[in-house]
Amino acid sequence: MKTLSRTTLHMTGSKRTALDMARGRIVLISAIFVISFIIVAGRALDVAVIQGTWGQGQETRTSLLEHKNEKTATVRHDIVDRHGVILARSLKTASLYADPKIITHPETVAKDLTAIFKDMSYGDTLKKLQEDKRFVWIKRNLTPDEQYKILYLGHPGLSFQEEERRVYPQGELAAHVVGITNVDGGGLSGIEASFNKYLGQGTSPLALTLDMRLQHVLKREISYAMTKHRAIGGAGLIMDVRNGEILAAVSLPDFDPNLSGDVKDVKRFNRLTLGVYEPGSTFKLFTTAAYLEKNKNGLGDKFDATQPLVFGRFKINDYHAEDRLMNVAEIFMHSSNIGSALMGHKVGTKDFKDLLSDLGLMTAPDIEIAEISAPLIPQNWGDINTATAAFGHGIAVSPVQLVSAAASVMNGGIKVKPTFILNRDIENKRGIRVVSPETAHHIRQLMRLVVTDGTGSKADVVGYHVGGKTGTAEKNTRGGYDKNRLVSSFLGVFPSESPQYALYIMIDEPKPTKDTYGYATGGWVAAPAVRKTIESMVAILGMEPQEPKDDLKGSLARYVPPKEKINMQKVSHETE
Amino acid sequence: MSEPIRISHIPPIVQKFIALNWGLVFLIVLLACTGFLALYSAAGGQLDPWASRQITRFCIGVLGMVIIAVIDIRVWYRLAYPIYAAGFVSLVVVEIFGHIGMGAQRWINLGFIQIQPSEFMKIAVIMALAKYFHAAAPEDMRSVRFLLPAGLLIVAPIILVLLQPNLGMAVMTGAGGAAMLFLAGAPLIWFIGGGAAVVAAIPLIWSFMHDYQKRRVMTFLNPESDPLGAGYNIIQSKIALGSGGISGKGFLNGTQSHLNFLPEKQTDFIFTLWAEEWGLMGGTALILLIALILMYCMWIAFRCRHAFGRLLAYGLMINFSLYIFINVAMVMGLIPVVGIPFPLLSYGGTSMLAALVGFGLILSCSIHRDAKLPRM
Repeated sequence: MKTLSRTTLHMTGSKRTALDMARGRIVLISAIFVISFIIVAGRALDVAVIQGTWGQGQETRTSLLEHKNEKTATVRHDIVDRHGVILARSLKTASLYADPKIITHPETVAKDLTAIFKDMSYGDTLKKLQEDKRFVWIKRNLTPDEQYKILYLGHPGLSFQEEERRVYPQGELAAHVVGITNVDGGGLSGIEASFNKYLGQGTSPLALTLDMRLQHVLKREISYAMTKHRAIGGAGLIMDVRNGEILAAVSLPDFDPNLSGDVKDVKRFNRLTLGVYEPGSTFKLFTTAAYLEKNKNGLGDKFDATQPLVFGRFKINDYHAEDRLMNVAEIFMHSSNIGSALMGHKVGTKDFKDLLSDLGLMTAPDIEIAEISAPLIPQNWGDINTATAAFGHGIAVSPVQLVSAAASVMNGGIKVKPTFILNRDIENKRGIRVVSPETAHHIRQLMRLVVTDGTGSKADVVGYHVGGKTGTAEKNTRGGYDKNRLVSSFLGVFPSESPQYALYIMIDEPKPTKDTYGYATGGWVAAPAVRKTIESMVAILGMEPQEPKDDLKGSLARYVPPKEKINMQKVSHETE
Repeated sequence: MSEPIRISHIPPIVQKFIALNWGLVFLIVLLACTGFLALYSAAGGQLDPWASRQITRFCIGVLGMVIIAVIDIRVWYRLAYPIYAAGFVSLVVVEIFGHIGMGAQRWINLGFIQIQPSEFMKIAVIMALAKYFHAAAPEDMRSVRFLLPAGLLIVAPIILVLLQPNLGMAVMTGAGGAAMLFLAGAPLIWFIGGGAAVVAAIPLIWSFMHDYQKRRVMTFLNPESDPLGAGYNIIQSKIALGSGGISGKGFLNGTQSHLNFLPEKQTDFIFTLWAEEWGLMGGTALILLIALILMYCMWIAFRCRHAFGRLLAYGLMINFSLYIFINVAMVMGLIPVVGIPFPLLSYGGTSMLAALVGFGLILSCSIHRDAKLPRM
C-alpha cells in the first residue's frame, strides 16, 4: 500500500511539474505574441499616420510621375526650324535580341523570323541563333506591327530592348544641315554631330534658322534648273544679310536621313560647307569693293580691256568681250576678266588679300556644322594670283563663305558670321566694319545695274529691285580648265536699296539647251532660278513691293551710257 | 469525470452541438464577414467574382468545422498519424506532378476544388506532434533519442515544401513545429542553439534561394531601389495604408485598390485594402478581433485536461496567429513579401478550409476537454 501510494504521489508530482512547465511556456509564448502584435500595431500607426501624410494625395500619381521623369531624362531633343517645324525627333522603339542559350529550336525560330523580316536570310539568322553567346542583336528598331508578330510567335529566348529611333519628318529637305545619328543615337553629321551633347542633355528643342517653306522653294528651283540643264549637282543658300542667319540651305543630290543605311557618299556631300569651288565672276564683287575702298570716286576710272592680258605663260581672256576702254562700272556690269585683273593689279596684292581676309575668305568659315572645308588659297600668293583671284579663279571657297562675305559687303559693310542656330546673332550685332558705307552703296548700285542692264537680267523681279552678279567658272581638270565643264552661279540680293536677303544658286556642270541659245553660263542657268525663288519667297514672307522711285536703276547713268549709245559708238569705231 | 452538460433525454450529438463554444464560432463568422465586405469592395462593389464564392466556401467550411468539432477527440487522437501519413503522401504526389509539369506546382486538383496539400500538412504536423508529446514524461523531453523522431516529423515535410519551392510555407511549418517542441518542454538551450544555427545558415540558405526570392529580400531591405519592379507591391501597399489615414477613405472608396495600383488586393494584400478603406481604426478593430479569437483559443487550450488537446489547440492557435502576423507584417513592410494569405479574409479556398479545419479541431478540444485519453 505504502509503496503504491508513494508511486501515485510521485506520479501526481511529476504531472504537476510538467503542467507547471507547460503553463510557464504557454505564458512565455503568449507574451511573445502580445509583443508581436504590439509591434504590428505600432507599425500600423507608423504607416497610416506618421508616414501617412507622405502617402496622402500622391497615391495614384507616384508611379506615373516617376515614369514620366525617367522618359524626359533619356530622350534626345528635337531639332526644329525657325517656326517650330520638327526636323528631327526621337521615338521609342523596340529592338529584338536573342539569347541563344535559351533557344531550343534555332531552325524553327530562324524560319519564323525570316518569314517576318523578309530582308533577313535564313542562313545568317540561324548562325546568329546558334552563336555561343547570351546576347545577339536580331534587328534594331522594329515597327509596332513587327513587334506584335514576334510576341505572337511566343518563342522563348527572343526579347526586346527599348531603344530610341531618330526620325526626320522632313525627309531629304534639310538632310545636309540637320545631319544624321548612328544606330545608338550619337550624332554623325550636320547639327546632330556638332550639337550632339546639347541634344543629348539639353533642356529644350534646338531651333535652327532654317525656314522649311523657303527651303522647299529653293530646292524646287535648283532641282528644276538641274533637270533642265542635265547638271550633276547644285547648291543654294538664302541668308539674312543683316544677321547672317541662313534661312535655306540646299545641296543636291541629297538623301533621306530616315534611310541612312546605304547612302552614297556623293549624296551625303554638303556642297555648301564642305565643297570648295572657284567662284568665277561673283568674286569681282570683292575686287571692285577693294578698288573702290582705295579710290573713293573710282567708278569712272577707265581700264583697257581690248587686249588679252598676258602674265608670264598665262593669258586672260573675256567672255563678254567689249573690245574697248571700260570704266569700273562697265567692267563689273559686263563682267570683264581683263578689266577685273587690271583693277586687282592696281589694288595691289597686300590690300586685296587683307580685304579677303577681313571678309573671312582666307580661312575656314566658323559655322555650327560638322562638315567644313578650308578654302584653297595659292601657297605663294604673287601678283599673278591677285590678277586671277580678281575674277575668281585660282582660289576656291565654299559657297557659304562666299555668301557670307558678299552679305558683309551688301548690308552696308559690317561683317556677319553665317549661322544655322536661331538667336545666336550676338556676335553679328557687334560685327566689325569691312568696307565703308559708300563702297557698299556703290556695290549695290553695280549689282542692280548687272540685273537691269547686264548679264543678270534674267534674275529681275518687278517691284523687288533684285541686284546680283553672275558667275561662270570653268572646272579645273588635270589638263587645265575645261570649257565644257562649268560651275554656273548667280549671287543675288534684294531689295538692292537696303538689302535684306542674299541668295546664291550654283549649278554644277549644266549643259546648254536650245532655249538658252547654247549658253550654260550663270546668267542663263542660275539667274532664272534665283528669280523664281524670289518670286515665291516674297509671297511666303509677305514682302511689300518697292516704290519704283527708290530703284537704284539709272543712278550710275553718268558712268554707264545707255545700250543704244554704246552700240552707236561701236559702229562709229568700226567705220573709222 | 463529469461531462460538461448532462441532459439525459437529449441525444449525445445534439448535446455536443449545444456544448459547442458559440462565442468562438461567432467571432469566426464575424471575421469571415469582414472578409466578405473586403472582397465585395475589391470587386468594385460587386459580389462577383470573389465575395459570392467566398461565402459559398465559408458555408461549406463552417459545416465541416462543426462536424470536425463534434467528432470525439479520441478519434482525432487515433487518426493523428494516419492523417500525417496521408498528408505526406499527397506532398510527394505534388512533388512528382511538379516535375512532370512546368515550374512550381503546389496544387492537387480534386475537380471541384484545388487543394494545396502543404496547408493541411501543417495541421497534420501539429496533430502528429501533439499525439507524440501527449504521453511524454518530463525526462523524455531531455532525451535526444525521444526528440529525434519528433524532429523528423517536422523536417521531412519542410524539405518537400522547400522543393516545390515554397519558402513561406516551409518557414511557417518550421515555426509551428518549433513552437510545438517548445510547448512540449524541450530544453530551452535547444531553441537558443537552433536560433544561432539559423542565423549561421543564412548565407547557405541565400545561395539556395531562387532569384525571385533573393529579389524579394533585397527589395524588402530597400523597396525604393526598384519602385516599378520588385519593390512595386510593397511601396503601393504602404501608400495605400498611408493614404487611408486614421479614419480611412470609406467603404468602396479605396482608390489604390480599385484603380489596380495594388496588386493581389483580393488575396495577400486584403488587409491593405481593408485598412485603406477603414483606416487605422478599422485595421486596429480587425486586429483586436483576431486577438479576441486567439485569446479564446488560448483559454480553450488552458482548460484542456489532456496534453493532446492542450498541445493541439495551442499549436493550431500559433499556426493561425503566425499567418496573421506574417501577413500583416508583410503588407506593412516589416518583413519581406512572402506569399502568405490572411486566413478567412483572403480570397482562396485552401487557406479558408485549412483555417476552418484548424478551428474545428480547436472546438473539438473545447467540447472534449475532459475526455480521457490513453497514456501510452
